[in-house]
Amino acid sequence: MECRVLSIQSHVVRGYVGNKSASFPLQVLGFEVDSINSVQFSNHTGYSHWKGQVLTADELHVLYEGIKLNNVNHYDYVLTGYTRDTSFLEMVVDIVQELKRANPNLVYVCDPVLGDHGSMYVPQNLHPVYKNKVVPVADIITPNQFEAELLTGKNISTEKDAVEVMDLLHKMGPDTVVITSSDLPPRLGDRFLVSFGSRRILMPDGTRTTQRIRIEVPKVDAVFVGTGDLFAAMLLAWTHHYPTDLKTACEKTFSVMHHVIQRTISYAHEMAGPGRRPSPAQLELRMVQSKADIEDPAIVMEATVL
Amino acid sequence: MDCRVLSVQSHVVRGYVGNKSASFPLQVLGFEVDTINSVQFSNHTGYEHWKGQVLTADELHVLYEGIKLNNVNQYDYVLTGYSRDDSFLDTVVDIVQELKSANPSLVYVCDPVLGDNGAMYVPENLLPIYRDKVVPAADIITPNQFEAELLTGRHISSERDAVEVMNLLHSMGPDTVVITSSDLPSPLGDQYLVALGSQKRVSADGTMVTQQIRMDIPKVDAVFVGTGDLFAAMLLAWTHLHPNELKMACEKTVSVLHHVIKRTITFAKEVAGPNRKPSPAQLELRMVQSKADIEDPAIVLNAVVL
Repeated sequence: MECRVLSIQSHVVRGYVGNKSASFPLQVLGFEVDSINSVQFSNHTGYSHWKGQVLTADELHVLYEGIKLNNVNHYDYVLTGYTRDTSFLEMVVDIVQELKRANPNLVYVCDPVLGDHGSMYVPQNLHPVYKNKVVPVADIITPNQFEAELLTGKNISTEKDAVEVMDLLHKMGPDTVVITSSDLPPRLGDRFLVSFGSRRILMPDGTRTTQRIRIEVPKVDAVFVGTGDLFAAMLLAWTHHYPTDLKTACEKTFSVMHHVIQRTISYAHEMAGPGRRPSPAQLELRMVQSKADIEDPAIVMEATVL
Repeated sequence: MDCRVLSVQSHVVRGYVGNKSASFPLQVLGFEVDTINSVQFSNHTGYEHWKGQVLTADELHVLYEGIKLNNVNQYDYVLTGYSRDDSFLDTVVDIVQELKSANPSLVYVCDPVLGDNGAMYVPENLLPIYRDKVVPAADIITPNQFEAELLTGRHISSERDAVEVMNLLHSMGPDTVVITSSDLPSPLGDQYLVALGSQKRVSADGTMVTQQIRMDIPKVDAVFVGTGDLFAAMLLAWTHLHPNELKMACEKTVSVLHHVIKRTITFAKEVAGPNRKPSPAQLELRMVQSKADIEDPAIVLNAVVL
């Protein structure tokens, strides 16, 4: 498989967020991963302390220029996630557009990170940039419920709303939308959360169809960082391997997440000791230990086709 | 295995040198790899063009401070390679010394990159720093013949000279020395180059013993970049997994390099086409494609115990 991804995300010295979260699993699955580190921090910002340096939009451009001057600016995928800087985001869009001219089949996988649980945790002025510039050039997006609502201006109270919002998001650009989590009531009970996916597909016989799924995922009683980044990377991988089967792509992606998270939480509890809440350091994803699950995830949940 | 490595090396967006060369193979073998990127360049400097940014000694210190403030400055290994900046190297030594006070069992694996084939390719003022500060703090070093000669001030014309130079290097600090290549004549003929290794250890009965080996390695008719970084990383791994067994550790390390290089050169020639010299881009190590060889290298040579 000769598939090259350009991933533009954070780098942390220690731990698994951004490019640290995305690279290893994609490489383990055989993808060539070129990574531009948008920042270099000691660790993610959920720890007591964090220190480091950020890349400016100009510096990003300079790195891309190096790639371009050598005529190696050919990618099959671009992958982006958490950003705080509008000019950086705009430069990313310029790069994606140029790469799409070089390869019209390029797939841009974008996690439109804006916030969660009803509030934004990036600067407000990123919202119009995502809505008007980024999402329109994206092919796969992985918003949570809050982000899907923000981008479309529509509230999600029912499954029907979720489907409508995903259709609105398709209209904005991306053929694949996964609402990674929502607070809709799960059928399997309150230990689960509900996610949705929608993909517009050109079938081998030339017809167009929209595959829609609902998937219920076990809730975990802990705050993880980097799981969204891992999710987007794995969705990239599994939609690549199952281009006309969103159900399987999502089952594999959510299953990998489950295995990594379970392994992480077991380890974290062990490290923290009985009755103690694990620290951010202890809760770092057990990524290298999950290699076998990443390579070949046992499917542990079933998506319902809507 | 819960083994954490701090690797302070270059990052390239595309290709496999520095941290890009070291991280994936170590992670695939189950090591936790924390990476401080000393530079971020578009690609290595053997391409026609390269662009990017360097980390200053102060910025390195800031990143380390972040790790320290969170009380997670505990490492089993430190790994360093190519550096051009004397103050950066000084800061690395300070960090190693502090980490060794925190963990006296820490092993510092250092590739003392100074030059090759009779000429230095880093600033001259790095030599005294390596000789007087870095090598004395190192536990495992991987100089080539030129670097071994420079560090000891002694010339190598015979296997006996090489053994004396390795003993001199031991007396400077490191208990494990591998001279990764030399122009000594190989008993297997001129299609082979000679590498040597020496490991000082305390045996079961408390005496100091030194195991010394020679390896005859098939020459390859191409210039690779990043192979030295891969070598140091894999020597770290295989000496960890085979402590006190230098012969086995070196056979595995050299074998991994062999498999990766063969796969790379085959691919490069295929992509370049018949009778055309592959480009630097085409000669990038086929790292992700070599995962199985990295995990479990078939041994392709027999090291001779001297």
